[in-house]
Amino acid sequence: MLGQLFVKECKLTVKSLIYWVIVLILIFDFSTQLGDMEIERKPKPGQEDYGSRMSRDPELIMKNTLGGLVEEYNRESYITYPIGFMKTVTLDKEDDERIGEILEESTGIATREEAEKVIKAWYTSQREILDQEGKTVESMAMGPMEALQAEPLGNLTYERFGELMDEADKILGGGSDYGKEERENSAREPMTYEEALEEYEVLTEKDRLTGGYARLFSDYMVIFLGILPVFLAVTRGLRDRRAMMQELIYTRESSSFAIMVSRYLSMVVMLTVPVLALSLIPLSKCMSYAQTAGIRTDLLAFVKYTAGWQLPTIMAVTAVGMFLTELTDTAVAVLVQGAWWFVSIFASQGSIGGGNYGWNLVPRHNTEWNWQGFHDGFSQLLANRIFYAAGALILVVLTILVYEQKRKGRFQIRGKILANRKSQSEV
Amino acid sequence: MSTTIKIRDLNQYYGKKQALTNINLTIGTGMFGLLGRNGAGKTTLMKVIATLLPKSEGEVSVCGRSTRNAQEVRKIVGYLPQDFSMYPNMTVYEAMDYLGVLSGLNKETRRKRIPKLLEKVNLKDDKRKKVKALSGGMKRRLGIAQAILHNPRVLIVDEPTAGLDPEERVRFRNLLCEIAEERIVILSTHIVGDVEATCEDIAVLDEGRVIYQGTVTDLIAMAEGKVYSAEISKRELERLKKEYIVTSMLTLGNNVMARFLAEKPPFASAKLCEAGVEDAYMYLMYLERGREDVRAIICERM
Amino acid sequence: MERYWQIEKVNLKYNIPLHVLVSVLLLLVSPLLMGVANLKAQDTAKVLEMYVALIGIVLLPPVFLPEQDREIRDLVYTKYVNGAVVYLVRILGNGLLLVLLLGAYVGMLAHNGCEFPVGKFFLGTLAEMLFMGGLGLFFYGLCDHLVIGYMAPIVYYITAVGSADKFLKMFYPFSMARDSYGEKIWLFAAAVALLGAGVWRRCRK
Repeated sequence: MLGQLFVKECKLTVKSLIYWVIVLILIFDFSTQLGDMEIERKPKPGQEDYGSRMSRDPELIMKNTLGGLVEEYNRESYITYPIGFMKTVTLDKEDDERIGEILEESTGIATREEAEKVIKAWYTSQREILDQEGKTVESMAMGPMEALQAEPLGNLTYERFGELMDEADKILGGGSDYGKEERENSAREPMTYEEALEEYEVLTEKDRLTGGYARLFSDYMVIFLGILPVFLAVTRGLRDRRAMMQELIYTRESSSFAIMVSRYLSMVVMLTVPVLALSLIPLSKCMSYAQTAGIRTDLLAFVKYTAGWQLPTIMAVTAVGMFLTELTDTAVAVLVQGAWWFVSIFASQGSIGGGNYGWNLVPRHNTEWNWQGFHDGFSQLLANRIFYAAGALILVVLTILVYEQKRKGRFQIRGKILANRKSQSEV
Repeated sequence: MSTTIKIRDLNQYYGKKQALTNINLTIGTGMFGLLGRNGAGKTTLMKVIATLLPKSEGEVSVCGRSTRNAQEVRKIVGYLPQDFSMYPNMTVYEAMDYLGVLSGLNKETRRKRIPKLLEKVNLKDDKRKKVKALSGGMKRRLGIAQAILHNPRVLIVDEPTAGLDPEERVRFRNLLCEIAEERIVILSTHIVGDVEATCEDIAVLDEGRVIYQGTVTDLIAMAEGKVYSAEISKRELERLKKEYIVTSMLTLGNNVMARFLAEKPPFASAKLCEAGVEDAYMYLMYLERGREDVRAIICERM
Repeated sequence: MERYWQIEKVNLKYNIPLHVLVSVLLLLVSPLLMGVANLKAQDTAKVLEMYVALIGIVLLPPVFLPEQDREIRDLVYTKYVNGAVVYLVRILGNGLLLVLLLGAYVGMLAHNGCEFPVGKFFLGTLAEMLFMGGLGLFFYGLCDHLVIGYMAPIVYYITAVGSADKFLKMFYPFSMARDSYGEKIWLFAAAVALLGAGVWRRCRK
């Protein structure tokens, strides 16, 4: 019974325009972001550059963090991300003075003029280094110069540094570069050949190559999957009313459970299918490289990541669309999900490198590297994904309850609005 | 097993407004007509029986199953709403098949039954047509086919003949009669002719109350001896309208042939006529509401 | 003139209060999400282009919604006022609402000490709003589906966030934040074309 309904619903989905629009957008997303994806090659000794990685060196962390503080103090404006959105903070006199004191205690820089001098000196020296290496600013893809580093005073302990920065972060209202997590992630250091090789080995052995690329794939797809399913769910939900078929369906023997669950399942499955199909492309790239490089890949990695990483998002967004549409008989779910997507995306801007998944609907991991970050953040990610999958199921149950009531003539919110419209739109 | 619909002391409210008042009805196998003006409460009553509305007070049971147990009732009730359609891009067959699944029919049953039903409602050759390409009459017939798809013991049809041309209407009534041979069919209408042609038992609803329940014959008998006709001048017509309830008139040159209701023989030239359902209905309304209201109803109908 | 005012009055009273409410809410919560005081021109442009402009999507596509029911549509189209006129009046009305809301917001930014060319940014943001709204309206008219009407500008927006101007070229919406204004002229011209085409398409069906 449920099975037959499920098949029927899948067929309905396949025949709907909106579904194919969604599929096209997914293909577009994939080909623009990952179409020219190249598999990382094994680093060779004697290369000029092996990339960079996060550093845990207190000295470097202090230099970088304080460098940022010197610049922002001099500019008299601070950039923070209190809840993910960029916010420019300008301080009043009192707070500005306190930051000045903090800066003086940690670096010895007492005035703006001094700060300005430090900044000028730094960039002049940076430019000289670039000139010596014969590089122009344009030829560098990632930031032309090293960000400003400021020397801490010799007597400044790492602990005292932490206290001072916490205070600065508090003055700025949180989310600044001086908070604990941000400053610890501030320092990057160039990798040596050995380190690069080690990272490559992590990718190919621990992640078996496919794991890293499945995460990268998930990262790009999940951005769109954070909103697209709502369009399908809303369209499906409104279709019965649009076709004036509601009462014919309401009076059928089928339980509300069977009707709603078959719809929900069909949408989730039909949305997952194109994702899985697209994953065959990076999978085949991984496979062909692995063959030449002698790496044992995990054939099912993309399936696992699709199910574990993307499916909960698909489930949650579909459920939001279905629930709000059944509840209100309007397209309001699009606006709600749009807002949620907006907040999720901007809130995750700071942590797209992976590892800090938090409770974001759209967990980001915009790199094939960083297995360690994934590993460390895994339990958080797992909790996150279970939370959304479970939340989705709860919403589905609520939808069933609402639907059951509507079948019995309760909860007809829209009816009143519509009656109003009918009489009034004639002018 | 019970084969009747029993309605006991049903009261139905929309917010504070009372839509149905103290309805008591027993409906058995065959065609049952629900007659009443627009807004008399027919649709509300049908929706309660079809479990589409929560009943506020009272007891409704369909073949022994309480409407509280909606799913059990839905198994044995087929419903055709007044305004309906189906997914426009589906073909006739696909739409039937979809609704069949929702009615819990297995593939085998659907494959056998759907072509048979489409033949019965004369849509056999249109089964590959898209729903959006159907005419009003075809859509109604498809509506009937979907309503009896799961072979229900009760069929509820709400104003099915509205918007059909006379030929379609006759065909539709016959179809319903055929279906009613082994089922309870409840037909609501504000067109007296529909009831006259098809139903033996009827109920007349007015402002949410049942003002008559019984056979069509008995209803007509109530008006027997009270229907007159007379040929009068147009000038006299105004006076006649003031004193009596004129149910129909036919202009004959300068004169008018008027048909009207009167308790006693009115004047010499008036001839006693055989009462019809229309007359009886008007008489009933007159008894219920008095003359002024009935005039308003007549104006509305003319 | 009186007739047009009648159409707009009905529109204001029955069709869009909810959408206006959503837009106002969207603007009201913005200080919680981002800085709206003492911003430099570039950051101001970001707030306007990436956030405030979104109310264009909220306010323009629903212009066709009251006549979603085909019967109502037929009824309206048989009246002596041309259907297109009804839509154009509503678009104008909702456009004016956008001007008012945006004006108030820009005024607030200027009052809060943001440094930016007020008139230029106002018009630039308006062009983007109209474009996103027009995109929605056009696809709504084309597919006769509000959901697709919302989907088109949202996908456009996501593309802009995700791939910058790689595909959008002169239709890139966040150009003022990188100190380029030519795109806004393209956006405005396209907005007019999309709104016109959307209405035309809607009335032909």
